[in-house]
Amino acid sequence: MGDIQEEIEQAYTLLEVRYISGAFLGGGGSFPEGDGGFPGGGGFPGGDGGRRPGFFRGENFLNESLVLEIEVLEGTDAVIPFFEKTEGTNQTITTPFGMTVEMLVPDYTIVGVVLDNEIINYYNVLPNTILEGRNLEDGDTGVLLLSLNSTDYFGAGVGDQVDILGNTFTVVGIYDETDILGLNRVYMSLSEAQAITDLEEQITSIDVYATNESIINQLALEISALDENITISTYETRLSSIELRAEMAEENLELAETTLSQTQALAYQEIGIAVVATCLIVLFTMLYTVRERTKEIGVLKAIGFSNGNIMSQFMLEGVIISAIAALVGVAIGTVAAPVLSTALLQPITGNSILQTSFVGRQVNVPGSSLSATAAIPSVELLLLVFVGAVLLGVLGTLYPAWRASRTSPMEALRHE
Amino acid sequence: MSDLALKTEKLDKLYKLGKREVRALSDVNLEIKKGDFVSIMGPSGSGKTTLLNVLGCLDKPTHGTVYLDGNNVTKVPEKALYKTRKNKVGFVFQTFNLMPWLNAAENVELPMEGTKTSKAERQKRARELLQMVGLSQRAEHRPHKLSAGEQQRVAIARALANNPAIVLADEPTGNLDAKTKYEIVRLLGKLNTDQETTIIMVTHDRKVGSRASRMLFLNDGRLLKKERKGSHFMMLKCSHCGKEMRADDTFCAGCGKRL
Repeated sequence: MGDIQEEIEQAYTLLEVRYISGAFLGGGGSFPEGDGGFPGGGGFPGGDGGRRPGFFRGENFLNESLVLEIEVLEGTDAVIPFFEKTEGTNQTITTPFGMTVEMLVPDYTIVGVVLDNEIINYYNVLPNTILEGRNLEDGDTGVLLLSLNSTDYFGAGVGDQVDILGNTFTVVGIYDETDILGLNRVYMSLSEAQAITDLEEQITSIDVYATNESIINQLALEISALDENITISTYETRLSSIELRAEMAEENLELAETTLSQTQALAYQEIGIAVVATCLIVLFTMLYTVRERTKEIGVLKAIGFSNGNIMSQFMLEGVIISAIAALVGVAIGTVAAPVLSTALLQPITGNSILQTSFVGRQVNVPGSSLSATAAIPSVELLLLVFVGAVLLGVLGTLYPAWRASRTSPMEALRHE
Repeated sequence: MSDLALKTEKLDKLYKLGKREVRALSDVNLEIKKGDFVSIMGPSGSGKTTLLNVLGCLDKPTHGTVYLDGNNVTKVPEKALYKTRKNKVGFVFQTFNLMPWLNAAENVELPMEGTKTSKAERQKRARELLQMVGLSQRAEHRPHKLSAGEQQRVAIARALANNPAIVLADEPTGNLDAKTKYEIVRLLGKLNTDQETTIIMVTHDRKVGSRASRMLFLNDGRLLKKERKGSHFMMLKCSHCGKEMRADDTFCAGCGKRL
């Protein structure tokens, strides 16, 4: 492996050859997976540095003879075949709606790499994040390299024996791998990978390095003429694929932001409705109270209460009732908010099929019966709600209290 | 004029019932001396309650003037009238109208709220008044624990709270049984003689009305010229023992027998 400058040049001159496939998960398409299509060819920035296979790659294969056909073309510097095959078991999964679905659940992915010093010393074909043991070397047989997450699956460490499809291998190293799909990956030599999977002379993809950046388009044309079942990605297509993905991510972000602001707007709307409703409820309740107590108002006026006295009496009553209601509301809200928010998320987090989805992981706090997203109102919010409720009560009481104070005592006394 | 508790000049009160005008009071001229116990009698719809409302500053006359304790209250603006009602007038209603959530003493204290008296003074005065109406043992009771007659006694005590120039009683015995009725009228008579309280009582019960010292008659909003002296201060001789006694007493003070 050379320096960064060399890596960049390699990325510019790299042509990726794959089996054509329309299926998203079928592997081989340059879009949208764009496997290995990151600048430098080393996978995700800060990632393991190894090759990143698609989901279930291995269903579509190219014949190894294609490598020889490409090698003889003018302008090729290196032609490197890769092999990837995902092994899995069929499992029956019950959906939340009661249906049962037969589904292939991936166990691990075998990655076959040409172990040749000419290649592994100059090109980025093996992971470069060795944590324990050593990397694969030229001439290695009967050994393999495990991704960190697959050590749990195999229950093996450096020096242990691992059974792959009935063949015994020795683990020589473990590399750091944090796969978003959670795949367990196993690196070994290309020929052994082909042998144990009974896929002799079959490969998944070919990395072609051109001698010169200026001829890659011409070379791509020539390669594609060799087989109608292949698709070729160049630096440009890979770049545009990344750009497309960036755009999609941006769109998703925008969508999320829009949804968030819409939800917020909705929340404000609901708060607004609640505020108006509260005012109206207080208004009508107090108007009813004033009507009910017309006679009392008449008596109070007859024995010498002023308009101001009557008004303040009703205002005080409104404030006291609002304060009691607000206290009850705040108490219920404090207890109900965390319980409700947890209960509403339970169907999502408790669902077996989504157990490992990010929602589930995010929600469940280990060692706690409550979830991370349980809404716990702050003291400030509760105070605000209390003060707000009392203010609304005052607002709603103003008119009824004023009406009460203006009641004619004579009319009021006649009222039954 | 200073010996007059109340004086009215050419009182008119008109109501509009749709397009028709109804004359509830017509040219009412009235003079009531301090310490008088006057009953105003008349059939239903004769304007008794209207007159009482106008006298008690609950309603304004269409024309004419009301002098209360020497002051022209017709000129007082509506907003300031509550002071007059508080300090010069005491109301007693047919339906008692006590505040159900206050006990007897608190009901009596109610009109004193907002006056320049301390809480202790008010409580003391309420006790005195309740004693005066014979309910000192019932001060802590709420209205629903009191009999109708007792409730009216509390209402009378409340009417006296601020030492009013006049007490206006609108059918004070209207909701009471025959026995209690006379107890209440006697109480009013006693307050009138003992405390020199000026009382105007509206009633259509002749027997009750006759217990006042003056009986006025109202018909179609007009005060009739004829005026009778009530039995309030009439003295009789007991038919059993011959002792002199007031006509409104039920039992003879000398022999204890019913008249």
